Amino acid sequence: MAPNKRHHPRTGGLGMRNDPAILSDSDLLTWRHWSAPLGWFAALGMLLVAMPHLGSLFAALDPEAREPIYRRDAFVDLLANHLLLVAGASSIAILSGVSAAIMVTRPWGRDFLPLVSQLASIGQTFPPVAVLALAVPWLGFGGLPTVVALVLYGLLPVVRNTLVGIGEVDPATREAARGMGMSPRQVLWQLELPLAAPVILAGIRTSVTVGIATAAIGSTIGAKTLGDPIIAGIINGNTAYILQGAILIGVLALSIDSVFARLLPSRR
Amino acid sequence: MSQPHSASPNRVLLALMPVALAALGWLDIASVQPNRIVPGQGMNLWAIMGPAGVLLALLPLAVGGLAWRATTLRMRWALCLVVLAMLALPFGLAAFCRAFIDPDAPYARVGLAAGFWVLLFVFMLALIEFKASLRLPRGSWWGLGALMLGAWSLSLASGALDKLALMQEYLGRSDKFSEALVYHSLLVTSAVGLSLVMGFALALAMRRWPLLERGINGVLSLIQTIPSLALFGLLLAPLAWLADRYEWLSALGVQGIGAAPALIALVGYSLLPMTRNTFVALGDVDTGIIESARGMGMSPSQIFLQVRLPLALPVMIEGVRITSIQAIGLAAVAALIGAGGLGTFVFQGLGQAAMDLVLLGALPIIAMAVIVDGLLTALAGALRQGVRHD
Repeated sequence: MAPNKRHHPRTGGLGMRNDPAILSDSDLLTWRHWSAPLGWFAALGMLLVAMPHLGSLFAALDPEAREPIYRRDAFVDLLANHLLLVAGASSIAILSGVSAAIMVTRPWGRDFLPLVSQLASIGQTFPPVAVLALAVPWLGFGGLPTVVALVLYGLLPVVRNTLVGIGEVDPATREAARGMGMSPRQVLWQLELPLAAPVILAGIRTSVTVGIATAAIGSTIGAKTLGDPIIAGIINGNTAYILQGAILIGVLALSIDSVFARLLPSRR
Repeated sequence: MSQPHSASPNRVLLALMPVALAALGWLDIASVQPNRIVPGQGMNLWAIMGPAGVLLALLPLAVGGLAWRATTLRMRWALCLVVLAMLALPFGLAAFCRAFIDPDAPYARVGLAAGFWVLLFVFMLALIEFKASLRLPRGSWWGLGALMLGAWSLSLASGALDKLALMQEYLGRSDKFSEALVYHSLLVTSAVGLSLVMGFALALAMRRWPLLERGINGVLSLIQTIPSLALFGLLLAPLAWLADRYEWLSALGVQGIGAAPALIALVGYSLLPMTRNTFVALGDVDTGIIESARGMGMSPSQIFLQVRLPLALPVMIEGVRITSIQAIGLAAVAALIGAGGLGTFVFQGLGQAAMDLVLLGALPIIAMAVIVDGLLTALAGALRQGVRHD
């Protein structure tokens, strides 16, 4: 839900560069390494199954509510739709963001570098809610304007971090690679992208986190997401609905974020 | 390359100008609406100006022509043309309002159509490109910004743009608008102020007891990960319960819906960037400088207040910048839980399908974020320079 926030190598400041470039493959393939995300996803699954049966608990929390459990849509459907929106928008944003950043760092596209990097940093100051609201006059209500707003907004951290990541590659290293006879394409795939990968991944993490939060607000413009119970609860003054939606969105965000936390090298 | 002295073409401008030309030629620039909800009749340049519109189309062609051999002089001329066009924009709109709105139709209004926004966007991109390729002194860009602001506020204040749909929405609720503007800024300022104090205290605690660092960082990033809508929702229930339970809390204005959960959530989100930046800033100060201060006989508190803190200030301001921008956007979401502010107009407008009301809320929010960003970036830059020269 925030421009320029955490995981940002330049503003976070905790010396991303001193960390090991990336985790080794053997680390990534152990069960233990993935225990935290697995735990979060298990919790999410259990909540989904248990939520419809917790009527008496929510009735105790909010005795005035006529119907303690949100039933307009199944929570599973809302979650699936929420994830679908974020996944679709994020894949478009990541693909086009990384390619755009690669293009403007090639010799033939370098003319556009100042423009694109300025645009990415100015755009990140735009609040996601405003971007979401401005997509409506153009595309109407529903899922489509939400996806477009998510793509537009999700692009920026990806572009910016890819530019930073590629920019941080030591020119001497690049020269050396070229001197060893690597083609420009090989330099990109075997040198620049692997070295920039942690920073790019941090950008993707920001992009996806903001996406999950913005998609939740998308339910105000007619997208079917886990924000629906919250909005319905606010309108009807039903605290139980608000809690159900809020808990599920919170656990969803923490589950996805824990996956990224495991993919990125730790900050120690 | 965008080298100022080469005579090679500026490919960025050459790519932008056809877009401007296409917007002028094919897209609707503005629309005439009979009332608030009816979409209205879109009009393109030909419908508005007839054959005279062709003259306007010469502008992007001229800029493109100048960019073909981009010497510094020709780029400066192109910049002048773009600036003139942007200055003329509000006056052109005023002329459109006079020509096409019947003064006897009280609800008729002028909407801005896709072509207008595309033109504005292309001109902004062109300005960014000029800024990158023409190394003009910093002050001149502030001057240009002031000039444009002046042109817009002049034409807005004169009432010539009152028939603009956006202005109609504003005129209908000008009191509420200024109230919301003040309230929004107040919410953001108090959240940033509170988190500055708390973040500073947390950063000092982390410096003193390094064991705390991991825990505090962990908790704060956990809060940041939770989507705002969910956090607002999670705070709503306990606060409503507390206010129900304790009279004095509700007497203080604490309730489930409203400013209390908004402020708590805003401070919660602000703490991570603030604490992290303060911590890093205080730790990044060169140990050599601290050593020499100690050698000069300064006491630890003097070293902290007169050496470490001033040197850390630019990075701390970066934290304030991130926090403020984030809080401006989040405060808009807080309108959903009844916290007021500019977000109220956004969500009201979405509810009534009145898009100009949405704009009335969204544009000031964006403007606020961009202005705060510019000011704090400039402040950090100035402080950094001051440190370097001393």
